[in-house]
Amino acid sequence: MKQKSLYILVLAALILSACSGLGAKQPVTMRVGYAGSPDTLNPGAAVLAESYTMFGLVYDTMYQLQLDGTFKLGLAESMQVSDDALTYTFKIRDGVKWHDGVPLTAEDVVFTYNLYANTEDYPWMADYTTYFESVEATANNEVVLTLSEAIPNLDSQLVFLFILPKHIWENEDGYEFENTAMIGSGPFKMVEYKQNEFVHLAVNKDYFGTVPKVDELIFQTFENQDALVQAIKTGQVDMITEMPNTAVATLRDDPNVEVVTGAPFAPGVTDIIINQVTPENCPPGDGICTGHPALLDRNVRLAMAHATDKQKIIDVVLLGLGTPGTELLPDGLGIWYNTDLKDYEYDVAKANQILDDAGYVDANGDGVRDMPDGSRDLTFRINWPSDSIDSPRMAELLSEMWGDIGIKLEAQAMDPDALTAACCPAFDFDIMLWGWGSDPDPSLLLSVMTTDEIPTGSSETGYSNPTYDDLYTKQAVELDQAKRVEIVWQMQEITHNDVVYIIPFYSQNVQAFRKDRFTGWIVDQPKVELSDITSLGIVAPVK
Amino acid sequence: MNRYRFLIKKISWSAFTILFVLILNFFLFRILPGDAARAGIHDPRLTKEAIEKIRVRYGLDKPVINCLESVHPVKLGDCTINPFETQFFIYLRNLSQGELGISFHSNRPVTDILGERLWNTILLIGAGQILSIIIGMVFGIFAAWKARTVIDYSSLIISLVAWSLPTFWLGIILLFWGSNHGLPIGGKMTPGISSYPLLYQAGDTLKHIFLPTLTYTIVFMGEYMLVMRSSLLDVLGEDYILTAKAKGLSTFQILKDHALKNAMLPIVTIIAINLGFTVAGAIQIETVFSWPGLGGAIFEAVVRRDFPVLQGAFLLIAISVIIANLLADLTYSYLDPRVQSEQ
Repeated sequence: MKQKSLYILVLAALILSACSGLGAKQPVTMRVGYAGSPDTLNPGAAVLAESYTMFGLVYDTMYQLQLDGTFKLGLAESMQVSDDALTYTFKIRDGVKWHDGVPLTAEDVVFTYNLYANTEDYPWMADYTTYFESVEATANNEVVLTLSEAIPNLDSQLVFLFILPKHIWENEDGYEFENTAMIGSGPFKMVEYKQNEFVHLAVNKDYFGTVPKVDELIFQTFENQDALVQAIKTGQVDMITEMPNTAVATLRDDPNVEVVTGAPFAPGVTDIIINQVTPENCPPGDGICTGHPALLDRNVRLAMAHATDKQKIIDVVLLGLGTPGTELLPDGLGIWYNTDLKDYEYDVAKANQILDDAGYVDANGDGVRDMPDGSRDLTFRINWPSDSIDSPRMAELLSEMWGDIGIKLEAQAMDPDALTAACCPAFDFDIMLWGWGSDPDPSLLLSVMTTDEIPTGSSETGYSNPTYDDLYTKQAVELDQAKRVEIVWQMQEITHNDVVYIIPFYSQNVQAFRKDRFTGWIVDQPKVELSDITSLGIVAPVK
Repeated sequence: MNRYRFLIKKISWSAFTILFVLILNFFLFRILPGDAARAGIHDPRLTKEAIEKIRVRYGLDKPVINCLESVHPVKLGDCTINPFETQFFIYLRNLSQGELGISFHSNRPVTDILGERLWNTILLIGAGQILSIIIGMVFGIFAAWKARTVIDYSSLIISLVAWSLPTFWLGIILLFWGSNHGLPIGGKMTPGISSYPLLYQAGDTLKHIFLPTLTYTIVFMGEYMLVMRSSLLDVLGEDYILTAKAKGLSTFQILKDHALKNAMLPIVTIIAINLGFTVAGAIQIETVFSWPGLGGAIFEAVVRRDFPVLQGAFLLIAISVIIANLLADLTYSYLDPRVQSEQ
């Protein structure tokens, strides 16, 4: 008897719990599956892209990056710049409130910019605040930002400086504050965060811009990509931000799933790095400079470029999901990408001819060409970070392709840090397969080929060209955008002519969403990023 | 008296081992190549100055220990510096205050990170262990009892197959199967239900834990079954069992009163060893099912050179293995009093 009543009680509780879970008016919940998790929610200390995704949803910035690579005003409703381009006056929107109800004022902006500029431990922020001279609040809704130098790209510098609430941050250590409550002013607010499990956001109904149509937004971490694919197939998530290229074909066959591809929102590049540092430029102290002397010869690099079948690399390594690369600046950089450049065509005969003409012949008949003076043969070391999935296949393909022109490769994967130590500024390598993450502004990627960066470790190739260096300095201060584009295009032409890098491909962002759940995703732009506010701010449930 | 001496001896040995692990732990991870301050970050925005700042913040700029500047590569250093300003001493001092340091990667205290994950792991692996022990032992006893029959051979084959299945492979197969039958395949709870009634949450967790536990149970029960079977068969061949049979006892009585206790010794050893490693989690299962446990944390920390997390996790594992072994020793002395007297 006693047991029976217990059963009934448990049953009743179960039914009750099921009802309260499902019976209430269901909020519109969007579930996103991704394979990472933020490293920290402190915008100054964060490094990973996953963190920046959350910041973009929860915080506001002065400028917002658009999918076409341009910027538009965000928190500011207007901006005025002085004639000398040193003083920027921003007018903050009226009536903007933090998620906890406190009004957002110019003081918050001033506090935030000073925090980013003055906290030396922040890994990225020094770069974005280099030219900050002073920030002042001249009125309740007016901020005056004074620069030490006139620069053309302040918008791209401000786009990652997320505005923080002074009333919360002023009492905290700027670096150690974990910021799990994440009070912001953006279209979504934080509900709950469990690192490596999920991020649970809810819509901010008081948002000054377009209020998103989803009530709740949940990012769920899947530690393996096969599970991610299975999760969207079975409808456990509504969108996934990444997937293995091998899964694309099967997902495309699924009637409920739409796979989209495009240039990644944050431009990145995969490159074949050729060590061409000259003995004169070898950094004193740090430099070991053991690069093969043949790589200093443009003819050898040019022959290698002609012997590289990029389409084959794309087909084998990326299963077709990429476009052939030409220059270090990826095509995802929009107007900055030089579309006039014609890539070196794949032509083994031509490559062989170039090497023959330049005197690199196979003197001893072992199948590997020798230096014109016969001192050594064209055997190059090729290294890549051991955590890269694509690189081993790429190295194998390059071995075959360059084998056709009498160049032998000694391939070896290396621990990423060991690779860094061998790379730069030590220059203790011949060829490396690696890549860069970068900014929406071209300056950063252009800087890695300047002479100044050879001793700092940012230059991987050791390339040095005074004309290029001059142009780099020029573009950094050219305020007229059209003129700056012209200089940037010219710089790409120079480095392409000198074959500084061989860029095998620009890879694509591959994402997928459930067609039967939400509609309105932005997929017709050159760039694809479904987890950006541009999509998440407007998608609506399928009726 | 004898028993207390045995106890004290065992406990002091355990304490000594933990101390050794503490010291080893520190140097072990510093032998890894690479710079913890910039592990895996390749970005022109990360300047030399910024890296130096990170090193200073985490104390990586200090020498490892007196006379030793760094362990990888081995670089001898100044012997005259203040020993209290070395990484090793700071590590010991923090430990003595119960602090495991701050994670290089996420900037959070290691105790917080390991704390939340430890319980997830214990939940998953604990459930898997208990199930596999019970099922494995029952099968083992049954197989030994019905030795050399179809029942024996078929459970033997099943156990051998289960034991030799690659964990991740079985996990993926079950993941595909389960997801097509409405089972969740990631995490320990559906995100966003923390405001729901507790019973609902428990039910949800039960759904999430089902597949990983099933994987774990299948892989581990084979081992228990095989050991249980063979050790019971050994015992059943002893003369005193023959005597028992001659006395006219039933097979059940022989198993219960005469054979089982003696056959338990090897099983206790395996259980103790496996329980010790429970805390380490099952890296493969946790990765396949995105279970937020310690195994996953260790894997990530290795990739990111997150020394403090690694040190903390290894310390936790070492302590739990040592304690489990201590418990096994004590159980042994209860099951087989000869063990104490031999000491």
